[in-house]
Amino acid sequence: MRFRFPRLTFFRGLAFRYSLFFLIAILIILFLPLVIGYGTSSVLLFINAQKDATILTEQTVAQFKNVLQPTELVPQTLVQAMENPNITYSEILRIARDFVLHDTVVCGTCLAFEPYLNGKENYWNATYSYEKNGRLTTRTLGSADYDYFKMDWYRLPKLLNKPVWTEPYYDKGGGDTLMCTYSTPVYRNIGGRRVFAGVLTMDVSLSAFARIVKSVNIFKTGYGLLLSRQGRIIASPRMVMNNQNILDLARIGKGKATQQAIMGMMAGKSGFTSMDGLEARKFPSFLSYAPVAQTGWSFGIIFPEEELYDDMYKFLKMMGWISGVCIFILLLTTIFITRRMTRPIVRLVEATRKIGQGDFNALLPVRKSKDEVAQLTNAFGVMQKELRVYMQHLAETTTEKEKIESELNVAHNIQMGMLPRGFSTPENWDLFATLDPAKAVGGDLYDFFYLDDDHLCIAIGDVAGKGVPASLFMMVTRTLLRAKAVAGTPINVVMQSINHELCQDNPSQMFVTFFAGIVDLKSGKMEFCNAGHNYPYIVGLGEEIRQLKVRNGLPLGIYDTNEYSSESFSFNPGEILVLTTDGITDALNMSNDFFGEAKLAASLTALANRNTKALTELLIGELKRFSRGAEQADDITILALQYKDATMNGAGGAPFIHLDLLNQVSELEKIANRIEELSEAWNIPPKIGMELNLVLEELFTNVVFYAFDDNMEHNITIDFVLPDVHQVQITIRDDGKPFNLLDKNTDENFGKPVEERQIGGLGIHFIRKMMNSVDYRREGNKNIVTLTKNF
Amino acid sequence: MEIVEDKTSQCVIIGITGRLDTTNYTLLENKLMELIDNQQDKILVECSKMDYISSSGLRILLMALKKLTAMKGKFALCSLQENIHEIFEISGFTSIFEIHPSREVALKSF
Repeated sequence: MRFRFPRLTFFRGLAFRYSLFFLIAILIILFLPLVIGYGTSSVLLFINAQKDATILTEQTVAQFKNVLQPTELVPQTLVQAMENPNITYSEILRIARDFVLHDTVVCGTCLAFEPYLNGKENYWNATYSYEKNGRLTTRTLGSADYDYFKMDWYRLPKLLNKPVWTEPYYDKGGGDTLMCTYSTPVYRNIGGRRVFAGVLTMDVSLSAFARIVKSVNIFKTGYGLLLSRQGRIIASPRMVMNNQNILDLARIGKGKATQQAIMGMMAGKSGFTSMDGLEARKFPSFLSYAPVAQTGWSFGIIFPEEELYDDMYKFLKMMGWISGVCIFILLLTTIFITRRMTRPIVRLVEATRKIGQGDFNALLPVRKSKDEVAQLTNAFGVMQKELRVYMQHLAETTTEKEKIESELNVAHNIQMGMLPRGFSTPENWDLFATLDPAKAVGGDLYDFFYLDDDHLCIAIGDVAGKGVPASLFMMVTRTLLRAKAVAGTPINVVMQSINHELCQDNPSQMFVTFFAGIVDLKSGKMEFCNAGHNYPYIVGLGEEIRQLKVRNGLPLGIYDTNEYSSESFSFNPGEILVLTTDGITDALNMSNDFFGEAKLAASLTALANRNTKALTELLIGELKRFSRGAEQADDITILALQYKDATMNGAGGAPFIHLDLLNQVSELEKIANRIEELSEAWNIPPKIGMELNLVLEELFTNVVFYAFDDNMEHNITIDFVLPDVHQVQITIRDDGKPFNLLDKNTDENFGKPVEERQIGGLGIHFIRKMMNSVDYRREGNKNIVTLTKNF
Repeated sequence: MEIVEDKTSQCVIIGITGRLDTTNYTLLENKLMELIDNQQDKILVECSKMDYISSSGLRILLMALKKLTAMKGKFALCSLQENIHEIFEISGFTSIFEIHPSREVALKSF
């Protein structure tokens, strides 16, 4: 057997697999901290961002307060002072103007009074001072075009009775700028009552807040946002948003969180929340917001969510790259190392392959180290050495065995050559023998030879055991038989004598079962002696068989002093003596069943009425069919001797076959089968066989249909004789009513038109046409038709 | 014996395999009579695989021939083995049966 190694490719190799496993492990090890790190840092980043945003918001709000505090405080103080009648309004105005000039945020102040408060002629009475380019300009306000009583900065404090921050507005005709106004109500004591007299306002330019808001800087694009009480964006670095209402910006396409955040801002609350941003499209963002003191304003800081994690993503990306490079280097290293480690194994595989192909001198790789591979290599070395020795030994043994085998073949040939063949028997005797040896030299034998003109000695034997000793013993036995069997010596004396000789020099205690007989060819009487051999069969005519069972003696070669007695048997004419060895009954088939005695008897029964050669060969054929596929374990030997029925065939020693049939059409099959066998045995051409078949069928059916008037069973016999190799003679006998088929004139039917033809009579026509001679006679109650056919 | 029935546009072909003898001629008889009863008046018997025929078989063929002739139909045989042909010759049936050497030739005659 040749082992085939699958070719080793890189992907099948250990190096690749180790590296792969290693890589996977490392990936898992690296990935875990990354995931955990990502989770943790994103939480931390969020917390920090929230803290930062909140602080920034508070700081900015504080800045607003710083700016606004004086704006609120100063007018409040002044208004209180105005309630004192000793202080003149011009003094108040002066202080207020001073404040406007010095304060960075406040850009104007106005003192406006109720109608006609300072005289009947003045419906409007307001003085407005504002700063422009470092100079203070003062003018009066109030006209039909500028009815300040309808302005928020006047109306609201009067209505609410408290200072008010107005919504941002563009003061047209006033400050001419975008501003908010802190408006404080002024009261006077009139008749002990505190009466609303007007308002003192401080205008705050929104540019001041814009600066503060602009200074707010968080993350990349984070920005601040100052809202008025009503949601108007007072200041933001995004110019497009300015002066718009935040509610409008947060209305379209934004989530609930955004709405809630805006509502919180406008309600003056503070907080930190995620929302969708204020841009036209959604932009996940965070919002930190807080109220700007009593102004009712709210300040918020908005920054995009992604910027919060920007740095972390950058870091992760870098980490990924570094890890990738590291893993790649690691992979290369692993592959390198494992390849280095497996290289000796690969070499070992190559060497082993060579050994497998029969090169026992293939060099194994040399290993200096003491590792596992080195040990394996050493073990292989030892195996290789032993294999070499074994193969050498085997080669020697094989040569020797071949020699013995060829010698055995010679022995076998000698053994077979000793067996007699091509035996001519007197014409009323028929003898056939065969020995089909098992593989090895066997221990079976048969023999037959004339003692004198009238006496034939036949023998069959089976040495216990097989192989050379058995065959040697068999040859000795056969030689002894030839030496001891002489005319006039009773067979039992011959046997005794052989037994004696065999016992003399039989150190290995071999023995042989042996049947021998001396046949008187004239009388058909046989004297025989059976030394422990299988009982012979007697196959009679008419498918009767029986066994020649007499008391057996011991096999030859066991006891020197053993006495053997002879028996006698008289052949009836036609009977066949069949001698066999146990190679037949002991033959096994594939399912380990024996052929057995019963099957042998049945086969012989079926094979009756054949000549000895046909019987022997058909029996062996049957046996071969039975044991198909199984090895033949033992020699198969058959010797058949027939005393022919001289009276029946009437033709001396010619072969004959006898058929017993019933008067049933179904028996035709038997005729057909028998003719087929007979044609083969007697070399009758198929055409002649068919004609015989046809003629017999016609005759037989004629008899079956017309010869009997009763419904009884009748016997019809057919005998086939081969008096000459080119002539067959057939005799049909029946006990029906007399019928001479030759009386019928059948020819008249022919030549007539179809419609007038008689069906029937055709068979008789066939018989006459096809046979060389047809003869009919009546003997007693029997019709006897004799046909001859030459071929 | 085995009988195979085969229909072509021209006729019914009856193929016989094996032995046609006294034990089984009724099978053929029944088959042919059934066809004739069904007004099938064109029948070809294919004998290439028929290796034996006895007078019983011949009788059936003769009967079919008679019936179909009376019906003005047609009955023919083809592809007879040599041995079988000889039997036909001996019986003189070659003169009354239409016998064709092959199936193809036979079919052309229908």
